[in-house]
Amino acid sequence: MAENGQNGRKWGMVVDVDRCTGCNGCVVACQAENNIPINLEEHFNQRRAIQWIRIERYWEGEYPNVKARFIPVMCQHCGNAPCEPVCPVYATYHNNEGMNVQVYNRCIGTRFCANGCPYHVRFFNFWEPEWPESLKNQLNPDVTVRSRGIMEKCSFCIQRVRRSTREADRDGEELKDGDRGLNPACVNACSTSALTFGDFNEENSKVSKMREDAMSGEHSRGYRLMDNLGTETNVVYLKKVDESVGAPHGH
Amino acid sequence: MALTRRQFLTLMGGSAGAAVLFQACGVPERELLIDSPIEMPEDLVSGIDNWYATVCHQCDTGEGIVVRVIEGRAKKIEGNTDYPVNLGKHSPRCEAAVQGLYHPDRISAPLLRTGPRGSGEYREISWNDAINRLANTLTELDNDLEPEKAVLITNPVGGHLGLVVKEFTEAVSANRFVYEPVESGVVRTAVQQVYGQDSIPDFDIDNSDFVLSFGADFLGTWVSPTRYSRGYGEFRQGGRSRGKLVHVDSRFSTTAANADQWVRVIPGTEGLLALALLSVMVSQHNADPSTVEALTGGDSWLESYNPENVASQIGIDSEVIRHIAAEFADSEHALALGGGSAAAHSNGLAAMKAVYSLNLVAGNIGQKGGVILNPESPLEGVSAAEPGNSFSEFQRLIQDIDVGNVKVLMVRDADPYYGLPDIADFKGKLAKVPLVVSFSNMMDDTTSVADLILPEHHYLEDWGTDIPLAGVGHQTIGFQQPVVRPFFEARGDNLGTKGFADVLLTVAQVMGKELDLPGETFKDIIRDGARKLYELGRGSVTASSFEAFWNGILQRGGWWDVNERGPSSVDPTRLDSISDINISGNGEFYLQPFLSASLLDGRNAYLPWMQAMPDPVSTATWQTWVEINHKVAEERGIKEGDVIEISSSRGTIKALAMPNPATDPGAVSIPFGQGHRDGGRYSSGRGASVFSILDAIHDKDTGSLAWAANKVIIRATGDWVRVPKFENTVAEFPRDEHNHIIELTTDTGNH
Repeated sequence: MAENGQNGRKWGMVVDVDRCTGCNGCVVACQAENNIPINLEEHFNQRRAIQWIRIERYWEGEYPNVKARFIPVMCQHCGNAPCEPVCPVYATYHNNEGMNVQVYNRCIGTRFCANGCPYHVRFFNFWEPEWPESLKNQLNPDVTVRSRGIMEKCSFCIQRVRRSTREADRDGEELKDGDRGLNPACVNACSTSALTFGDFNEENSKVSKMREDAMSGEHSRGYRLMDNLGTETNVVYLKKVDESVGAPHGH
Repeated sequence: MALTRRQFLTLMGGSAGAAVLFQACGVPERELLIDSPIEMPEDLVSGIDNWYATVCHQCDTGEGIVVRVIEGRAKKIEGNTDYPVNLGKHSPRCEAAVQGLYHPDRISAPLLRTGPRGSGEYREISWNDAINRLANTLTELDNDLEPEKAVLITNPVGGHLGLVVKEFTEAVSANRFVYEPVESGVVRTAVQQVYGQDSIPDFDIDNSDFVLSFGADFLGTWVSPTRYSRGYGEFRQGGRSRGKLVHVDSRFSTTAANADQWVRVIPGTEGLLALALLSVMVSQHNADPSTVEALTGGDSWLESYNPENVASQIGIDSEVIRHIAAEFADSEHALALGGGSAAAHSNGLAAMKAVYSLNLVAGNIGQKGGVILNPESPLEGVSAAEPGNSFSEFQRLIQDIDVGNVKVLMVRDADPYYGLPDIADFKGKLAKVPLVVSFSNMMDDTTSVADLILPEHHYLEDWGTDIPLAGVGHQTIGFQQPVVRPFFEARGDNLGTKGFADVLLTVAQVMGKELDLPGETFKDIIRDGARKLYELGRGSVTASSFEAFWNGILQRGGWWDVNERGPSSVDPTRLDSISDINISGNGEFYLQPFLSASLLDGRNAYLPWMQAMPDPVSTATWQTWVEINHKVAEERGIKEGDVIEISSSRGTIKALAMPNPATDPGAVSIPFGQGHRDGGRYSSGRGASVFSILDAIHDKDTGSLAWAANKVIIRATGDWVRVPKFENTVAEFPRDEHNHIIELTTDTGNH
């Protein structure tokens, strides 16, 4: 079925932490693509800034053998998503391509889903988003502007995925793996190619091969965030390589 | 096969029979889904878009971008997959181009000052009036016999714009200055002296297995970060054995954070370390004797820089130096590069020459994983941007202003009022210039004190060409085209904005000056350049007619010829010894300014996405912060958000304390970028500018500003402000007993 239109696909991402430099290119690209409200200074201070994808930075070690670790975190599009069953109005649901989807005009803002999400990737619109009149010219017409009182999160740029699959179906062509129109904005923006997007149900896709390599063998680097929770995420991470891990002095 | 009504309609609606028929016979999954009036994300229909290729000018790199345009409005920037500089990738800064285009505070018509200077009181005038005012003043000046009359300060401009600016300034006898707040002159001079090249060579990080970097934050802000980051990704996990990155820096930058080994050195000793490495390689690691002789002049002076002699000055163990030298010498594809703070000392040029000479000893010039030199431009007179004039040249300009020799000061896409340190007193002396003209389409500090403003198009509305400053090893010219109609077009021909080059051409025409240029308009000049490329009959675009060729280069975003490569060898020249550095002030902390990852030297401060982008290391946004070692902070009772006064020998600024475990206990780091007098609603009056407190220390050879050569004292004011930052917005992932994030790292890769 994988070659046959919208059913049978299972979208997912592979994140190679060893390539990530923490540059925040993905973060800005996501803001630009998805009409995310401008995060003003007060939004950060209220802890209400919205970033569908974020770079978390961790410190390890002591000066001068100190290390900064970067990890990009976006909605993991769990196969067994804690956010889905708690929604009283089915605003968040699982679609038949493996994505966790948010229906904005169903959401009534209970925020139960955000409570349920162990990855903290769901964001609530505490305010009506505002743009100066001229900046509205930049807004992406393919993406709904979310109003006050509803929840939003990473959609794997579903508008791009839908456009690509629809056009491929229309032209009767196979969807090309790594097609730039298919890729979410963050993947195209990632200058080190730390992010890879594709169809896990297509056995020849790049993400499938990467996952297979990552999850098997002695030197495998693959893992899933908080896998012990049984969320069955569609995002696979590849560990950063550092020979000094566990050693008292890194160098 | 029984058709339901719905399947029948699906069939009839489809245009291609067979495929739809097959689908309709499958599992009737659609039948099971509840149809409802809600807007399911899957069902949203997307509009028709067009993607246009052009060149980004958000920083000096000149990345090739494609712009998504829907109904005449630019929506999204992505990297141009064809363009050799960035190969489909782009920096976070490129994205914000659309916010510059639709910025709510853009200047939409020529302005004439009505109130006192700096009051912000202006009235709109017509373009005819504005151009006549400038042309008449320039003509008057041109006709009298006084020296030093008009000055044009621009950002570093290359390509055909560089050609127009050069012709214009010569024709109207104006003096031309190029302003860079953080100068590239030291690195460019070192490259010129070591490799004999005007443009910065390409570094093949992609194929290298050992990269040794001195002060250059090449993964964050230095020269061509997107290109280097792309190479870095392959360097790490490109299928070969994983490369090793050693970063020598006094500050913990983005590059240091990603290095396998961060070698923290005492500021200004990077050059000493490079010479120490050279001395070890010469004596122990079989360096090519002829190269060594050329570098040392045959003397044994290099031996005095052996690790044991200099290790204490550098602040590291001599064994560490020997180890790095051995790794560098033993690696098959070792590569050294340097810049940033390592070049911003009084010994900057000597240090950079030592760093870049490491590549000569490694023998990697023109080699895989090494330094790739660039060929000449395919078009005569059209080149990459020149390096900026040095700080000492600007000090001489300010003296000229002081004695009244500058009657007109024209400024384009440069903000010396913001970036020149207070010690130079550009701000005070500017009062002696009778006419200050700005071509900016956004208020910036210099524009806010201008008398006449002739707002230029945004670069997404204008023509241009670009030869990348850091070339890619083969001939490349980027073509910039208007991707949207000018945003203020509806204001008519007499208001709105105009292209900078076209305004210069019109001013020259009004003055009756003949310019030696191949066209009446900037577009004509660029088309002439394209025609010359067409006549070469080689490269990435070839076509049967010129019009087809022209469309081809605009579609692909430029022209390049992968067969026209640079030289693959250089004649080594003698190294300089490293002198002790001059440090201004006797405070207890070194001051380490650094380029903000998003705002850079302040040029992107007006863009809200850039203000809101978390700094990679501190995660801070929207403010000026000062990084301080967390133990030092604890000893002094300083906590995050405390307002700290930082005083150099030349002034004091305030910044918010941001303790972290990676800052040198003997230093404090502050990003450039904030502290604008005027820059629109998102940056005016926000934070502080560390440029303002720098002392006038020069690189002794090039006269560039040694911006890393200050010592400061710090004092907590007792005030506290919450630092707008991303850190702690979400809960941390759990850690193991070694304080490592569970499962984030591994030591069992393919290393």
